[in-house]
Amino acid sequence: MRDKSLFKFLTIGLLALWLGIFVLIPNLMIVVTSFLQRSEEHFVDVLFTVENYRKLFDPVYFGVFAHSTLLALVATLLCLLIGYPFAYRLARLTTRWRPVLLVLVIIPFWTNSLIRTYAIKTILATKGLLNTVLLALGLIDAPLRLLYTSSAVTVGMVYVLLPFMILPLYAVIEKLDSSQIEAASDLGASRLQAFIRVVIPLTLPGIIAGSLLVFLPALGMFYIADLLGGAKDLLIGNFIKNQFLDARDWPFGSAASVTMTLAMAVILLAYYRSIRRLNSGGI
Amino acid sequence: MKRLLMLLVLVLALPLSAMAADKVVYFYNWSEYLPEKVLEQFTEETGIKVIYTTYDSNEAMYAKLKLLDGGGYDLAVPSTYYVNKMRNEGLLHKIDHSKLSNYTNLDPKLLNRPFDPDNGYSVPYLWGSTGIAVNTAEIDPNKVTAWADLWNPEFKGQVLLTNDVREVFHMALRTLGYPGNATDPEQIRQAYEKLVTLMPNVRVFNSDSPKLPYLGGEVNTGMIWNGEAYAAEQENPAIKYVYPKEGVILWLDSLVIPKNAKNVDNAMALINFLLRPEIGQFISEEIGYASPNLASVKRLDEAVRNNRTVYPTAEDLVNAEFQVDIGDAITVYEKYWEKLKAGR
Repeated sequence: MRDKSLFKFLTIGLLALWLGIFVLIPNLMIVVTSFLQRSEEHFVDVLFTVENYRKLFDPVYFGVFAHSTLLALVATLLCLLIGYPFAYRLARLTTRWRPVLLVLVIIPFWTNSLIRTYAIKTILATKGLLNTVLLALGLIDAPLRLLYTSSAVTVGMVYVLLPFMILPLYAVIEKLDSSQIEAASDLGASRLQAFIRVVIPLTLPGIIAGSLLVFLPALGMFYIADLLGGAKDLLIGNFIKNQFLDARDWPFGSAASVTMTLAMAVILLAYYRSIRRLNSGGI
Repeated sequence: MKRLLMLLVLVLALPLSAMAADKVVYFYNWSEYLPEKVLEQFTEETGIKVIYTTYDSNEAMYAKLKLLDGGGYDLAVPSTYYVNKMRNEGLLHKIDHSKLSNYTNLDPKLLNRPFDPDNGYSVPYLWGSTGIAVNTAEIDPNKVTAWADLWNPEFKGQVLLTNDVREVFHMALRTLGYPGNATDPEQIRQAYEKLVTLMPNVRVFNSDSPKLPYLGGEVNTGMIWNGEAYAAEQENPAIKYVYPKEGVILWLDSLVIPKNAKNVDNAMALINFLLRPEIGQFISEEIGYASPNLASVKRLDEAVRNNRTVYPTAEDLVNAEFQVDIGDAITVYEKYWEKLKAGR
């Protein structure tokens, strides 16, 4: 028994220490910094102020937040529209094909998403793969300007984040009891009705989980907007990076970062609440 | 983007390299600013290993050195206005010219400038300019002779700007007839208003490697550094470098030793090596920026020395202006820069 508790103490203790040093302390430092003043000489002066948070309400920065949120929402919606039918078909396939397709969904993770974004860049470029093929097929006369547009940014985000939508959806759809769908049609529901009133509510936890897994990273993925959008849009991620590296306004950057963390915490809290309600209502 | 990658590389590479051989020098330089061969030759001759890392903006380099309190690196290459700033803040190590046998090769015209009188803390490395690139296969070169021509509505979605707040505002300020290093908030505001009207023409901001969008056919005109233009022209002769009428933006990057550098002697050896006539010549010919080293310039290949993209004539430099430190006004620039990018 003693050995076991020692083991428990060591593993939990190590983990706690790790998280404490590399997560808790840095985050606390950021929270503290966000209430201090910028200093040209020492980065930060130890003087209390809430000015950094007040500045965030400037319409310019508010616009940055709104734009990032909108972009993330569009990416999430597209991922859902593409990912849901895919996950649905995948879960209904024979056991022979399912593992193959699942591996294909996961394989892109073996390559860093930054490198994959560069790959998209070479495909969408004016003299890139897509334009060359379309020109050769005679479908277009002049190359399309695809790179450095907002559609390129959306394509990049959807591509990089799609697996995060498919996997949780697949997990719930696979467990879906087909007898319930049959019961619905026995009771006179059309296929559409059965889908809306039975399948969607039953897969809702997967939809919510997938949407969160796409939406939250999408908020911070500034490099896709930089590489595929031509660095023309200021997103929350770039904004925070600029404050730290270029403007050297650490307190302001910290305030933006803390605000974003809080917003994410609120979303996650809402998620846990809704899941609890779903579970208790389902039984 | 490179900046992020570089941070990652640094975090991973520093502890590893610290364990390696004893004779090392940590060199922190701009990306695409030194042929690898030069470092190889240096290591071969002296046995000093060069740990080479790169950055793509003065700001990133400064933030890093400031944070490490002038330690961590033995050699860096800030532009004039950052030499000034770092010197004033006591971030730099004094450089003893008597230990640099090749120091006398340097062009006196580029020495003892206001940003570092007596060059007590900096040794010029390369100098160059930010001007305009035109793809003459797509655009009549007579249509682009001034910064103001970038506003031509014909160039909708075809213009590149560097992703550098100082350069972009310098350009806009010059088109309004103001000094490129303005610190007056009203002049900066007007430059911002002017830039807002340029945005429909702007296709991309790029400071990683501005030549690539020109070569890829994504943009046909816009800002570029002369060295990048030189490289682009070798690959596609239709791409030409233009010295805008309002005046080109000039910069000079100098070698400095941070205050708490651990391998000062090795850094000095590397500086002296870089000042050798044949090394300066090789760098200038490979990278396409002008050497401040007169002995190197003499040895240059005719084609490079007479290339106006690399070595501008006096006529090209009419109205040209060096970038200088603007102090706290940078926060005003940053505010409008963010507004410009968030305003779409």
